[in-house]
Amino acid sequence: MSIEQLQQRTRRHFFKDCGIGVGRIALASLLGNTLTDPSRAFSANNESPSSPHPTHFAPKAKRVIYLFMAGAPSQLDLFDYKPKLAELEGKPIPPSVIQGQRYAFIQPDAAVLGPRFSFSRHGASGAELSEMLPHLGKVVDEIAIVRSVHTDLFNHSPAQLFVNTGSGIPGRPSMGSWLSYGIGSEANDLPSFVVLKSGGSLSGGAAMWSSGFLPSTHQGVPFRSQGDPILHVSNPKGVDMQAQRDSLDLIRRLNRERLEVVGDPEINARIEAYEMAYRMQTRAPELMDFSRESKGTLDLYGAEPGNPKQAFANNCILARRLAERGVRFIQVYHSGWDHHSNVEGGLRSQCAQTDQASAALILDLKQRGLLEDTLVIWGGEFGRTPMVESSVALGRTLGRDHHPQAFSMWFSGGGIRSGVTLGQTDELGFHVVENPVHMHDVQATLLHCLGIDHTRLNFRFRGLNFRLTGVEDHHPVKEILA
Amino acid sequence: MTIQKSLSVGFWILFGLVVLPVVPPVIGESSGQVSFNRDIRPILAANCFECHGHDESGRKAGLRLDVPDEVFKEKKGITAIVPGRTADSEIFRRITAKDSDDLMPPPETNNTLSPEQVETIRLWIEQGAEYEDHWAFVPPQRPVIPAMSITGWARNSIDHLVAVRMEEQGLEPAPEADRYTLIRRLYLDLIGLLPTPGQADAFTSDSDPLAYEKLVNRLLQSPRYGERWARPWLDLARYSDTNGYEKDRPRSIWAYRDWVIKALNDDMPFNQFTVEQIAGDMLPNATLEQKIATGFHRNTMLNEEGGIDPLEYRFYAMVDRVAATGTVWMGLTTGCAQCHSHKYDPISHQDYYSLMALLNNADEPDLIVPDKGVLERRKKILSEIEQLQNELPGKFPIGDGSGSVEERRHHRLEQSFSEWLQEEKSVAVQWTPLLPNHLESNLPKLEMLEDGSTFSSGDITKRDVYTLRFPLASVTKNGSQITALKLEVLPDDRLPARGPGRAYYEGRKGDFFLSEFTARMKGQELKFKSASHSYGKISIGNGGADAANVIDGNGSTGWSTSGQEGKAHHLVLVFSEPIIPEGELEIEMLFERHFAASLGRFRISATSRTGAVSASRHPARILSLLVRGPSSLSDSERKTLKSAFLDVTSELAEARKQIEKLRKQLPEFPTTMVMLERPPDNPRLTHLRHRGEYLSPREVVSSGIPSVFVHADSGNLPTNRLELARWLASRKNPLAARVTVNRAWRAFFGAGLVRTSGDFGTQSDPPTHPELLDWLACEFMDQDWSLKKLHRLIVSSATYRQSSNLTELKRQQDPENRYLSRSSRGRVDAETVRDLLLSGSGLLSEKMYGPSVYPPQPSSVTALAYGNTKWNSSTGEDRYRRSLYTFSKRTAPFAAFSVFDAPSGEICVARRDRSNTPLQALTLLNDEMFIEMARELAQKAMDLELPSPSGRAMDIFRRLLIRPPSESETKAMVEFQQTQLSRLSNGELNALHISGQEQASDEQASWVMVARAVMNLDETITKQ
Repeated sequence: MSIEQLQQRTRRHFFKDCGIGVGRIALASLLGNTLTDPSRAFSANNESPSSPHPTHFAPKAKRVIYLFMAGAPSQLDLFDYKPKLAELEGKPIPPSVIQGQRYAFIQPDAAVLGPRFSFSRHGASGAELSEMLPHLGKVVDEIAIVRSVHTDLFNHSPAQLFVNTGSGIPGRPSMGSWLSYGIGSEANDLPSFVVLKSGGSLSGGAAMWSSGFLPSTHQGVPFRSQGDPILHVSNPKGVDMQAQRDSLDLIRRLNRERLEVVGDPEINARIEAYEMAYRMQTRAPELMDFSRESKGTLDLYGAEPGNPKQAFANNCILARRLAERGVRFIQVYHSGWDHHSNVEGGLRSQCAQTDQASAALILDLKQRGLLEDTLVIWGGEFGRTPMVESSVALGRTLGRDHHPQAFSMWFSGGGIRSGVTLGQTDELGFHVVENPVHMHDVQATLLHCLGIDHTRLNFRFRGLNFRLTGVEDHHPVKEILA
Repeated sequence: MTIQKSLSVGFWILFGLVVLPVVPPVIGESSGQVSFNRDIRPILAANCFECHGHDESGRKAGLRLDVPDEVFKEKKGITAIVPGRTADSEIFRRITAKDSDDLMPPPETNNTLSPEQVETIRLWIEQGAEYEDHWAFVPPQRPVIPAMSITGWARNSIDHLVAVRMEEQGLEPAPEADRYTLIRRLYLDLIGLLPTPGQADAFTSDSDPLAYEKLVNRLLQSPRYGERWARPWLDLARYSDTNGYEKDRPRSIWAYRDWVIKALNDDMPFNQFTVEQIAGDMLPNATLEQKIATGFHRNTMLNEEGGIDPLEYRFYAMVDRVAATGTVWMGLTTGCAQCHSHKYDPISHQDYYSLMALLNNADEPDLIVPDKGVLERRKKILSEIEQLQNELPGKFPIGDGSGSVEERRHHRLEQSFSEWLQEEKSVAVQWTPLLPNHLESNLPKLEMLEDGSTFSSGDITKRDVYTLRFPLASVTKNGSQITALKLEVLPDDRLPARGPGRAYYEGRKGDFFLSEFTARMKGQELKFKSASHSYGKISIGNGGADAANVIDGNGSTGWSTSGQEGKAHHLVLVFSEPIIPEGELEIEMLFERHFAASLGRFRISATSRTGAVSASRHPARILSLLVRGPSSLSDSERKTLKSAFLDVTSELAEARKQIEKLRKQLPEFPTTMVMLERPPDNPRLTHLRHRGEYLSPREVVSSGIPSVFVHADSGNLPTNRLELARWLASRKNPLAARVTVNRAWRAFFGAGLVRTSGDFGTQSDPPTHPELLDWLACEFMDQDWSLKKLHRLIVSSATYRQSSNLTELKRQQDPENRYLSRSSRGRVDAETVRDLLLSGSGLLSEKMYGPSVYPPQPSSVTALAYGNTKWNSSTGEDRYRRSLYTFSKRTAPFAAFSVFDAPSGEICVARRDRSNTPLQALTLLNDEMFIEMARELAQKAMDLELPSPSGRAMDIFRRLLIRPPSESETKAMVEFQQTQLSRLSNGELNALHISGQEQASDEQASWVMVARAVMNLDETITKQ
């Protein structure tokens, strides 16, 4: 066979088996460079690594708002109603069920704890929700609930890292970094990956928004709740914007003069970076200024700018504002769901802080026409046990321990089939029995909604091709895709 | 045909592994000669090895293409490759097959060979299908230094080997950089700081032909050299001052960091440097320093989250150790083989766990460092205490009656003392230690020590059970019945925080938690009627620590002596019915918490006392004297008891306050984390883990280096950590020297000779200058593995001394500088950004060593970390220490470093990214830490005696850029300064705010603005 024949054959095969048109081939080859070639991102000669890049296929969503409920909310008291637990309350869980499982705090013979709240059906879809989620109940037809998520890890820090980076060990790139690396940014005056936080301490730490081995340009930028929202976005005391502009002009002038002598294109990149820094400085005050938000909007979220008690609601509005300004990945952490003791009281307090604003975010995005291309995800790092946790030493009663075998999440917006409840757990809510969704499937789904085939978003590092979803076989969750 | 094949098979068996050039031949791509390593292996690796490679489990059709063994064998009439004959070669038929069932790679894999690749394979087969061993697995050979035609350019052999490649490409070297550039480059490269303009001027005007060499020697001798080169090594070692993961608490391992600095300054040979870090503890008569060096592999993270499985995270730490060892000394990615045999590199799943086994047989204690300063301070305080104690009798209250004051005082003291003795004797219990004849546990090793106590070592879990049996015969006098038991918990230097417990994460170090204490005889559980302790407190949680918790049948209650680490305490349990001392007593102790917290050292004793028995506040030594009673005591024993009395009597409560205060001031010795090889009778077994999962242990593996490094003439192979260490940095490891010289090359030139630094495997880029790499590797080994000599060699080359300017011609001919036809230009590392600005502004402190420090940064940086961690900025000198002394917190790294791509110590980093971002601009422009330096630079400029604006501008400029500014540069700075000055003068800007002082002139503030701008120039933070 001649080379020409081979070429023909290869092309025919490509068309036939891959079922995509000529236009896409051009796109795919372009993507071959964009999505997998590390040199692209390193080189200062090429386009800026943060400018938007084409996707593998037409995206349904352009951006993501990920409401991360750190600490792991109890699915059994919010989404996955198990009357059998009430029936068995106080009795040890059958050993056949718990066999071989390791727990963080409880012993394997712990007793069953019934649901702490009543459940009812909502919306046209008739989704079953706890009384702790009245606001979510009103938008339930806009979301897809998955009750069959499972994950690999049963301690907070590793499990939170796993959700974000696909690995329980720090050091891998996070979802937001993969997105920034893979499809770039649509904002030229804000970072492409922003992290917001409310509630208690975060277990996973900075590794959750790290760019890992991806170029560090793609790391998430945490907004600070005290001082500058973006570190050092304000001028030093005494330097006004005119003085800053003058300084930048001097810096540019001297840098350009040096460029003439040494010819290093990296100097151009530095000049660009300083200009973008200046744009960020001018943009940030406008971004953080909630005075244009109507009272109606603030009330919808239950927000109160400046009041730390309403930090989550305030962050949800900020998330929407960031979405409007082209930020690709906005992660809103709310920590405080680790209810080892008094799961009932804990949920009351956390739901009071988060239910209204989470539902409001969906309504608000929808009324502004943003929901159709914004993917909203809500969930924790694992679930909680059907068994009760109590410990004299730790002073704990009527709590629930960590449970990676089954838990619930919800999805809404761009690319998501709303009004769906997917997945079944057994009558104790212990194991998934129908439509299991691994955390890597969740990640694949997220990438899919943004037009990325998770198997083809790779980065070569130390001789290995890494991807967010690991080496095992995982898939986007078709059942919840529009 | 058959004969031919068997011949070729024979040929390959005979010569298969000694074949051909070991490095990719340097040939132009136009020559048409195909090289296996350069041209064929990458194609096969990317498209074929997944099914036809090293990994046996994934291999299809029994065909292996990575080694020649099978390729030329006929099987069922089919031969994969017939050298010289594509038509008869099955693989060529398959890669060009029309039928999609026949086509290779299979269409469904989405791997498709390009026509060019097919053509390359065709050529290779036609040319004889010669295999080559992967170059990196064959020991480096010193190449012949070629002659070159660029006469007069070369300064050493490096240049000859570089020039040859340039000549092939029709390139010419760049001219030598000017002296200002050279001195700034040398300072940044060798010591990571700036010269002063004065030092630069002295160098540029030095007419000594050896001025450059003298400068190099001076810098190599500077203590700053070790500080500069420690940083990249600490990246590899993944050094940090915190434990990582959720809680990310501080750890003490800075002694290891200091060891690295000292070793580099002493130019410790790299092979010794290796051995001490991997296995210093196993060296004969290991010194303190050699033990400290083993901190290298203790830099792994420690998960302190409540409820984790400690052995699971220990396994992940081992995975990290194998990975770091592979990266640092073998330049190999071992990661894939954790889960399955490596698809591309010849490291099998088995190899991986065998390598892990070599590293896996150590315990991980804290080592107490007898720091001289601390020792002195302790001595001083202890002698003060002793003196005060001696003065106590003189402070005893004065008794009634006759005689002098001192006589009455003495009398009252003696009287009180003898009353005390009487009383204490009446309640003192005589305890007889029970000596176990059987020790057993779920996992830790229990052994009896000479004093009858039991010591626990090895691994521990969240639920440990100790079972001990004691023969009771002759325990009591006259066979009287045993009424009570005592459990003493004892300190030991080998335990965390000196014990008595073994807790090393989550709970307090040295803590324990005794959940249940059960006694049995003849299978019958014995009942206790009461329990008491000398002290009780638990850590983490608000539960009580009553002694009775250990006999309440509830595992979540227990006894602990938290807060009294390093001290002995005891628990007394009184039997409901006295027991007859016959047969065996079995004691079971359960330690069950959400963290591992079993006891490290303890002793069980019995008594036959029939009256009230309860815990005593006295230490065992005092108690035994009290039991004997006053009449039988020697003078010195009596003195001991008297001291004990003086130490507790309420009559001296006030007088003892100063002693108690001093005791609290006693400084603790610092500790550092080390490795300690396990005793031969308690080896840790290493299991192969199916798919790399901790929960899927399979067979126990024996220890050994990867089989690819094992040859017929390998001699004795490593069987333990020390032997591995010696092998790693030896001529037997073909990679150690290459990887090390390549790292050095990258540090000086921005890119390695192998550009995929940290990966020398079959998937790596071939070296740009293979002969140079091997020559440097051989030279490095021949020069006794001296890093300083290697660095001197590199910076002495004409190659290094070239200008880094990128001319239009170079841009066209050598855009990526693959041929080294210029020097490199690039932003310095994060720490150097700060260090050079500190040195340029004159703020730098040269204080070396010791605990890490806290330069200023906004409190919001660590507020984001778990537990809203505070960052208390250092004051004084510590604020301006070199950046490698900055406290490194893994989950909230120092912001000004991470923004410039500094790693966070979570994984071994062989090559940092070098990004150029707006956040860096915001940091350099607006971070208070840098403003301080701008103010200092302005102050220096203001202090000048010649107060012309251009003179001040030049001063600031030269302190950072070293070279004099051009006229237009000076003009630009002065214009800017004048503009700012007029805005300051008319009140638009505030001089006090800008200069951060209570008094400052407008002029001074305007120079702060200039200094800040110059600090932000690309050239300032660039080595060129």
